[in-house]
Amino acid sequence: MTPNSQIVDTGGWDKAAIDALFDRTTGWLDRRVFCDAALYRLEMERIFARGWNFMCHDSQLSNAGDYLINYIGEDQVIVVRDEAGRVNVLLNTCRHRGNALCRAEQGRAKTFVCSYHGWNYALDGKLIGVPGQKTYYRDDIDRTRLGLVPARVESYLGFHFATMAEDAPSLSEFLGDVGRTGLGMVCAFGDIEVVDGIQKNIIDCNWKIAVDNLFDWYHVMYSHASAGSAGMLNLAEILHPNNQLVLLGEYGQAISGPGITKEMQARIDQMSDEQRIEMSKEIASSGVRVRPRSADELMGPVGVRSMGHPNIFPNLWITLNGMQMCLRLPRGPHRTELWWYTIVPRGSPPKLKQRMIRTAIHLFGPAGLLEQDDGENWSQSSRSSQARSSQQLGVNLKMGVGKDEAVVGGNGEHYIETCVNEHGQRWFYSGWTEWMAARDWAELRANHSPVPEGTV
Amino acid sequence: MSAVERTPKAPSSWADLSPAERAALQYAVEQFLYDEAALLDARKYREWFAVVAEDIHYWMPIRRTVTRSDLEFEFTKPGAMAYFDDDYELLEMRVKKLEAKSAWSEDPPSRSRHFVSNVRILDIEGDEITIDACFHVYRTRLNTDVDSWVGRRTDVLRRSGTSFKLLKRHLFLDQTVIASKNMSTIF
Repeated sequence: MTPNSQIVDTGGWDKAAIDALFDRTTGWLDRRVFCDAALYRLEMERIFARGWNFMCHDSQLSNAGDYLINYIGEDQVIVVRDEAGRVNVLLNTCRHRGNALCRAEQGRAKTFVCSYHGWNYALDGKLIGVPGQKTYYRDDIDRTRLGLVPARVESYLGFHFATMAEDAPSLSEFLGDVGRTGLGMVCAFGDIEVVDGIQKNIIDCNWKIAVDNLFDWYHVMYSHASAGSAGMLNLAEILHPNNQLVLLGEYGQAISGPGITKEMQARIDQMSDEQRIEMSKEIASSGVRVRPRSADELMGPVGVRSMGHPNIFPNLWITLNGMQMCLRLPRGPHRTELWWYTIVPRGSPPKLKQRMIRTAIHLFGPAGLLEQDDGENWSQSSRSSQARSSQQLGVNLKMGVGKDEAVVGGNGEHYIETCVNEHGQRWFYSGWTEWMAARDWAELRANHSPVPEGTV
Repeated sequence: MSAVERTPKAPSSWADLSPAERAALQYAVEQFLYDEAALLDARKYREWFAVVAEDIHYWMPIRRTVTRSDLEFEFTKPGAMAYFDDDYELLEMRVKKLEAKSAWSEDPPSRSRHFVSNVRILDIEGDEITIDACFHVYRTRLNTDVDSWVGRRTDVLRRSGTSFKLLKRHLFLDQTVIASKNMSTIF
């Protein structure tokens, strides 16, 4: 999809140097991963342009011409539904001087017209008009070669993803069972829609610190203690520090957090959907809803026991039992834009929808009673990573190293059942080094770690 | 607060007021807003909460960058996603959080300055006065963090004794992407 073959500037980061940034066996991470400019540039190439990036959910683009802006790394893309109903992802840059076609973040369009010289493009990216084509260019311009550059688009359960890599595997292979379970969690209560309004804010931190944090069930009790004491939620009730379930998948995919025990799940399995709704009412104070039977197929027999946080590698966090998703968009080594999507089941009663939306507003986003306290931890951790002596100390991710067993379930799921741990973070960073060291998809496919089995 | 004594007795509609009565009401409303802002800047959150009506709606919708032809979608609608959509109970949680020992996002505490200007009385209906105003909330944190939130707001004040209670605060921010790590501030 990239129009020209890229000359990749690795800034001296060869495979050996990248491999040395993280030691899985001790959990030691080099702090330069949070601040080095050359590593950041390489991430744009080897992680974001190469990977499958979340673009939107189908419900966000109802009609032909509906569009919104998203990003692949720092490349702005137009995500638009065309007249044929297809979702296209097009680089938001005019093929003439590079000006942005869309300057609004969402809207409705019949065509995309450049505000600079008036070149105009169809919803599928075709260049349909060049002012002065006959008179000034004297017909010496080939419009067929100058359409907006499309990304490859594939979707799963109505979630559209895009990549700039022609050699990328299918979205389904990239997601693997763990990524599919994660997206399945969002749809576990039936067909969904994204609520109008994406909260967006900017934090002065490296994007990976935000990702690291979603697997981190260790910080909740301390960082978010004030949300508990203010009466927002009963932290002790939702954490289950000794019932943690971690699922690991290829290419850095992971889910981590509280799990329903096997015994409890066996009881739930015997229940009808009506009984599960009743049970949800009884435990309403914990904010947890028991999933219906149909969730088994979407999440698998192990996945369906997860009440934790999936991350679709690299930067899509699924939270609140699938009720919200947060995209962490890199804006330089020290800046990250957070986009919060809120999900409601399409068919649910308006009252329930309203309650879910309000819960989302009150917990997460920049004014959320939980989320407020995260930004400062992340920005100060990023800041100290830039300082000469602090940088040399490394990041400590050793919790539970060598203490747990990864087992393989009947459907081939690799999972760990343990107490609060840092397996998810270690899997994310080791995946990150493999993505960063591989020069192309063939190398990444050949060299990425198999999902662990046995002692981890 | 000192402004509590300043509310003149007024008829139920703006049109019924004489110029002098309008000036007096304008004065009373502005003094209330300034006193309330001063409580927030002084971190007297509990005292501030005492002027909040129990049926308050405190709301900040999400604003989007849209083209002129899509301006109807500029703000999210009530019931859709927002940055704040609080009732009395939720606002009290915000106050409790600010008072908590472990509210890390506000300890060390931020320094804030609430400016209110361009105050216009739009409507009077019974005990309720609808006003429109511009706000500028300036916040600094730690040594170098600076946040500046500017926008327009619609407040509804309800007469209460000799003063007012805050019945509605709808905030329409001029930012689309919030350029701040959080909004742990009360606007």
